[in-house]
Amino acid sequence: MRDTSRRGFIRQLLLAHEPGVPAATERTLVCVFLRGAADTLNMVIPCGDDHYYKARPTLAIPAPVLRNENDLNGARLDDFYAFHPRLSPLLPAFKEGRLGIVQAVGTDNPTGSHFEAQDQMEHGEAYGRIIGGGWLGRYLRSYGTVELTPLSAVAIGSTIPESLRGAPTASAMESIDEVQIKTPLNDTTAVSSVLSALYGSEVGVVSQSGKTTLDLLKRVETLRGTLYKPEGGAIYPDESFAQGLKEVARLVKAAVGLKVACLDLGGWDTHFFQGGSSGLQADLIWQLARGLAAFDADLAGDRERVITLVMTEFGRRIYENGSLGTDHGRGFAMLALGASVNGGKVHGKWPGLSEEDAPGASSLNIAGPSGLKVLFDYRSVLSEVLTKSLGHRDVNQVFPNFSPEPVGLVG
Amino acid sequence: MNSSRRTLLKILGLTGATLPWMSCERLISRVTRELGQSIPSHLSIPDGQQIDPAFHLLSRAAYGPWPGDLDRLRAMGTGNWIEEQLAPENIDDRACDLRARRFETIWHEPGTCYEYKKPVLREEITRHTLLRGVYSKRQLFEVMVGFWTDHLNINLEKGDCIYLKPADDRLVIRAHALGKFKDLIRASATSPAMLVYLDGKENKRATPADVPNENYARELLELHTLGVDGGYTQSDVFEAARSLTGWRLRTGWRKGTVYFDPTMHDDGEKHVLGQLIPAGGGAADLDRLIDIACGHPSTARHIATKLVRRFVSEDVPAALVTRVAEVFTATDGDIKALVRTILGSEEFKAARGLKFKRPFQYIVSSLRALGADTHAHQPLIEYLQRMGQGPFQYPTPDGYPDRAAPWLGTLLWRWNFAFALASNTVPTVTVTLDQLASAIGAIAATADGAVSGLRPDRLIPYFVGRAGSAVELKALGDYQAQRINQVADANYQAELISLILASPAFQRC
Repeated sequence: MRDTSRRGFIRQLLLAHEPGVPAATERTLVCVFLRGAADTLNMVIPCGDDHYYKARPTLAIPAPVLRNENDLNGARLDDFYAFHPRLSPLLPAFKEGRLGIVQAVGTDNPTGSHFEAQDQMEHGEAYGRIIGGGWLGRYLRSYGTVELTPLSAVAIGSTIPESLRGAPTASAMESIDEVQIKTPLNDTTAVSSVLSALYGSEVGVVSQSGKTTLDLLKRVETLRGTLYKPEGGAIYPDESFAQGLKEVARLVKAAVGLKVACLDLGGWDTHFFQGGSSGLQADLIWQLARGLAAFDADLAGDRERVITLVMTEFGRRIYENGSLGTDHGRGFAMLALGASVNGGKVHGKWPGLSEEDAPGASSLNIAGPSGLKVLFDYRSVLSEVLTKSLGHRDVNQVFPNFSPEPVGLVG
Repeated sequence: MNSSRRTLLKILGLTGATLPWMSCERLISRVTRELGQSIPSHLSIPDGQQIDPAFHLLSRAAYGPWPGDLDRLRAMGTGNWIEEQLAPENIDDRACDLRARRFETIWHEPGTCYEYKKPVLREEITRHTLLRGVYSKRQLFEVMVGFWTDHLNINLEKGDCIYLKPADDRLVIRAHALGKFKDLIRASATSPAMLVYLDGKENKRATPADVPNENYARELLELHTLGVDGGYTQSDVFEAARSLTGWRLRTGWRKGTVYFDPTMHDDGEKHVLGQLIPAGGGAADLDRLIDIACGHPSTARHIATKLVRRFVSEDVPAALVTRVAEVFTATDGDIKALVRTILGSEEFKAARGLKFKRPFQYIVSSLRALGADTHAHQPLIEYLQRMGQGPFQYPTPDGYPDRAAPWLGTLLWRWNFAFALASNTVPTVTVTLDQLASAIGAIAATADGAVSGLRPDRLIPYFVGRAGSAVELKALGDYQAQRINQVADANYQAELISLILASPAFQRC
């Protein structure tokens, strides 16, 4: 059951004190970054392409034998694709049209470097064209600063990701409950005013962060310590990723003006012993799918105003390497979850698995590692989400000098 | 093996009892105080409007001053201090050894480490690192150990790394931290922990149909040597991976030791970075590859850039990078020469207070400034973990970032640490504030000699290396006026010092 009275109460509290308070229709973008280059070929499986099975004699996920979703080998999505069996918690969202997939998304980054590719994507840049700040930072800047509070952009964890670089305000936290000053005297008024004087008198990033932190402390006071009850029968597994999503859901429902939330799930760099239907990658897929499924259920009443994107820095090679893993590749599949998503299908045509991608010839004499051909620049997908799901008017502010192509994921 | 360890055992023997560890630690704390880990009765404080140059040097080439370090450095002179620190083997570090050497697993070979449980291994290497940071007199050495630990990052939590990292820390990082760059990289290339962390042990090619595992080869070029813009191609990555095939780890007898298996090595001709590695080189291909990569001009630039970023500022002064890169080339990557060049430069001297302390440095410099007594138990480590910089916990091979932005969200956790530390509520950490306050002349007295609070005008310079600004003095003065008659002296003293540790100036160095 939703605690409507509490939400209403908090909203009123905020309305009473703050200008530019979020309306109930306030939209939230949740960005999940799979760090380490996730092998999406083994998540959204092209089981209609024999070449996939040839290139991955030990790692390929068997095609579903039966045309039904209880198939153990993977859950069929359409005539060509199937889900990895550990993605099955997301099958209802797909079937009900809230989960959409875009195939063959990527960047033009030729380095094959995790860190370069992540930075480029988080900055929202073309290769070698530095804009300054992160794409979410620029997105947030398009709001007037009066509208923004330290709860407008929240990164779950201890650090603030590059995508939020340059945001007028952003906070990092593992949970709302831990956001408090603890002094032995249990009286924080005096120390807060000293900190406020010390940080308030300076200019620069340290002082800005200090002010944000002090503001955040004030704002979470009403939320902290309240018992959060997930709705829709959602059960968040006791894993940090899922628990992070729970905190995001809590902020969404509290209507505190959360515009952007960032979460990381790491460990996808599966050069060695990647596993197939079970194993290293399967465990990560399971964390991802169960976390998102709980989030989706919990937010059943707020799906219209929340969209969740799942991305990674690049995909992996089509062929497996000699150590039961896959090396760095190119294109990947991106996932989007929410009522505004044109879901229940895989967008974009299948680029095929070209013969050039054989190990001998492949890695040589091309700009960057080989892998799935990139058909959509990642910024086209992000632009469409900003424009059509979040109602952003001028996407050129976020991705200057870029002309997005229509993807069809949203709207 | 080592005299200090024997000394400790002798002392323990003399007490005539097998003491439980806690009392042993109390004893070590006592003995180390006798050995100089204490607060001198008088400490001078900087008085300029700008950060004192000696304080600056101790903030960058050390993890901040320990009580008395500033006076000592000033007495001996900057140049002498740097040279002393560049020869760590000549520095008597017995007091630190007493605290830090007693962990068994940091001395074991990988095979022996497999006999320990993971939590024990994790705790010992972490405590060792933290204790060395706080108490070692070989501070510059520890700073360089931290630098190379990031540069050649290994996460304890991947695969079997936890069993193998203690040997990597000792035989790769610490053995070469101030040695030759090429020796460091060569040692890392066949370090069991690195062979697991970046999958080198799985990189094999018995037949041309086998696909090499590129993971280590890529990071060797991208992170460890040339840098991502260093001019290598994807073909170079592939050819480097071929050169590195065949290095394996034993799994049964002598578990965790390295051997070269010629049947798993691709012994054909390779072309890396425009140079030829002839066919038939076998195990020597690795040496040849390391020579080529370490000798590449991009490597000199990459390492120079990273060192300058660490010691000087996030925006690296281009002229200094060029000079350091030239020294790298001229000295065949002599790390001491690189550090000497940086610390002696005008750019270094000018860059005072420009860096944002990372959590490890924040915590260690706080402990050092207060002359804290700790054996680095879990409660202290938890503060570091909450700020996101637990030793050996960074997941990806690029190491903890050396820029301010990712760490700016950690202020609240720093403030909470400051309040807990100064009030002696971090379990297992003890500080003695009155002794420190008295040494720096910060105890205010009325005309008749009665104690009447603390003097922020003397405390601030001690902690931040310059005179307090008008804003700082007013903020702390207001606090004092409001608080002094409200709460007990000890609480108020602790809170006042916490506020200095929580202030923006102490976040920087």
